[in-house]
Amino acid sequence: MRKTWLVAVREYQAAVKSKSFVITLLAMPLLMGGGIVAQFVLKDRVDIRDRRVAILDPTGQLSQAVQQAAAAYNATGVYSDDSGTPKQVKPKFVVELVDASQVGSPPGSTLKLSERVRTQELFAFVEVGPDALTPGATGSSARFAYHSNSPNSRELHNWLTAVLNQTVQRIRSQRAGIDPETILSVTQPVRIENLGLVVQSETGEITEAEEVNRAANILVPMGLMMLMFLGIMIGATPLVQTVLEEKMGRISEVLLGSIPPFELMLGKLIGTVGVSVTLVSFYLLGAYCALSYAGHTDYFPSASLLTWALVYLVLAVLMFGAMFSAIGAAVSDMKEAQSTMMPVMCVVMAPMFVWVYIVKEPNSSLSVLMSLFPPATPMLMVLRQSVPPGVPPWQPIVGIVLVLLTTLVCIFCASRIFRMGVLMQGKGASYWKMLRWVLRG
Amino acid sequence: MNAVDIEQVTKSFGEHMAVDRLTLQVPAGSIYGFIGPNGSGKTTTLRMIMRILHPDSGEIRVLGEQNFAAANDRIGYLPEERGLYKKMKVDDLLVFFADLKGCRDSRARVREWLETLGLSDWARKPVDALSKGMSQKVQFIAAVVARPDLLILDEPFSGLDPVNANLLKDAVIELRRQGTTILFSTHDMEVAEEMCDLIGMVFRGRKVLDGTLESIQDEYGSDVLRVRLEGETDVRELGQLTGVQQVNDLGRSQELRIARDADSQQVLSELMSLGRVRQFELVRPSLRDIFMRIAGPEAPDR
Repeated sequence: MRKTWLVAVREYQAAVKSKSFVITLLAMPLLMGGGIVAQFVLKDRVDIRDRRVAILDPTGQLSQAVQQAAAAYNATGVYSDDSGTPKQVKPKFVVELVDASQVGSPPGSTLKLSERVRTQELFAFVEVGPDALTPGATGSSARFAYHSNSPNSRELHNWLTAVLNQTVQRIRSQRAGIDPETILSVTQPVRIENLGLVVQSETGEITEAEEVNRAANILVPMGLMMLMFLGIMIGATPLVQTVLEEKMGRISEVLLGSIPPFELMLGKLIGTVGVSVTLVSFYLLGAYCALSYAGHTDYFPSASLLTWALVYLVLAVLMFGAMFSAIGAAVSDMKEAQSTMMPVMCVVMAPMFVWVYIVKEPNSSLSVLMSLFPPATPMLMVLRQSVPPGVPPWQPIVGIVLVLLTTLVCIFCASRIFRMGVLMQGKGASYWKMLRWVLRG
Repeated sequence: MNAVDIEQVTKSFGEHMAVDRLTLQVPAGSIYGFIGPNGSGKTTTLRMIMRILHPDSGEIRVLGEQNFAAANDRIGYLPEERGLYKKMKVDDLLVFFADLKGCRDSRARVREWLETLGLSDWARKPVDALSKGMSQKVQFIAAVVARPDLLILDEPFSGLDPVNANLLKDAVIELRRQGTTILFSTHDMEVAEEMCDLIGMVFRGRKVLDGTLESIQDEYGSDVLRVRLEGETDVRELGQLTGVQQVNDLGRSQELRIARDADSQQVLSELMSLGRVRQFELVRPSLRDIFMRIAGPEAPDR
């Protein structure tokens, strides 16, 4: 064991002291959080040129109201006064009334307006249906058509939808002889709070239920799972390369004169676990500091959850690390390694594809089943444990036992592949050949 | 006592028979040279002695133990191809290797060895800053630093300039003086002749020579006379001299292979009757000649 430890320490130091580790450590959150940061930075960088919209209104009753609403919106809704002085952050809406007698009737009129959108004279135009104010009068529902050449820009469309609906409802209620105010008060929606459960403490004190923090309930599980994923990817994946380099650089042969292959591989795995744990601790510490700075320590996972996550992380790194070192020993160059790694990578990535479902349905039988599939257990069980109401106590224990067994099998098989592969030069081994090595020993 | 005992060992890789019923002994305290052409099974044999490879059949006893562990702290091993962590500092790397061998005073010993081989200035440099010769010396230190009882060196002097090769040879001889048994493979016949107490040769996986240089020379023995006469020499006349079996015409001089019981004095006196003798030299066959006779293009079964 002393030799295993020596190898582990060297492996750990070689990984942690390298420049690439530090770069990865700092770059990975940027890469992962880059999307969020970009959104944040780009949020205020909107095009604030006026959006001109034409309204083709055969009823003649809507366009005026829309024009007034636009004037009100342009006066107040487009400015931000974060910095004290109002600054325009959103585009103004300019409503143009179209004289039906000049443009004629559809499709001639809509074609003309479409041409104006194409030449960018207009941003969009709205066609008000003939039955807009008398729904059901002819058996058809009221139809409005919004035409634009910018299908992904929702702002104007959303605003028009709201304004036109309000206006149409007001006119309809007036026609029906009902006071619009009455309708508003009758249809006033009620708010349903999303609360947790009432708790009674040991002293008998009853604590009111707190409002559910939806963000925390999604962000914490997701964050924990991402952290596990990073721990495996950054910690264990490089094993393919280091084993391959030792093999091709004939270092393995020197090492095998001093330490048996199994102990050598075990040492490398332990070193790798150290690297992963260092990495994850670094991120957790960073997250804790950031959260306490922002006053949101309630987002930080509990100690028991972290303990589970740590145990799972160690097992996952051992399990996948064993697979990766076997691959590194079996192949003969990096290109070959990449293709041989693919199936293992798919297994590592698999939880990333299903996590959204599992967060929504943490206790469905499918979720339970998936979280008990050993290669996926470390990430998925932690995910389920971090979503209320948590999991029955037997599940993480069964999960750990299964993962532990799988890890032992992986290490056993990998050590056989490692022993054979690490001295073999020339063409790499196929999966079939690796299987033969495992079976023959 | 033998440091290494190999008995009827066979090893094949798929169809290829790398080592075929090999038997050899390396007596404790000796320097044993293991020669043979490329691909004849030398490295495979050394790897089997190291237990990095396992023989298909046969027995190997090392330092008296049959079931010794592959990673034996009493054995130092210098593989044919050099393997060092490129990014590590020279002294850290050597301390790591020494520690792995269970060495207690690693740092002090590493410092000593670096000094002996003139590498002290490079101790804090990363390995990839070293020249090829220097990294070979570093690799050599890695093999010997833990005071092994048995030292196995696969081509230890290849690629070294004469100065550095001599440095390593002196180190090897000094280790032997301290009681280490040394087994090394080499292509360099001069090195083998110069250094080895015993020489073994393998060819196509089989042992073809084994013993001291003298016994090998005796066995391959017909002695050779190198002669040169003044003026034109009739090669046919040389062939008719008493005891001469074969004449090898080298142009300016000739080599006469004489029968074992022939008297070289007799040949000399007969030669003098043919003309003025400018050169007369009794040469024993060099290891190189014997090697070529066995494995060279003119070898009988090639």
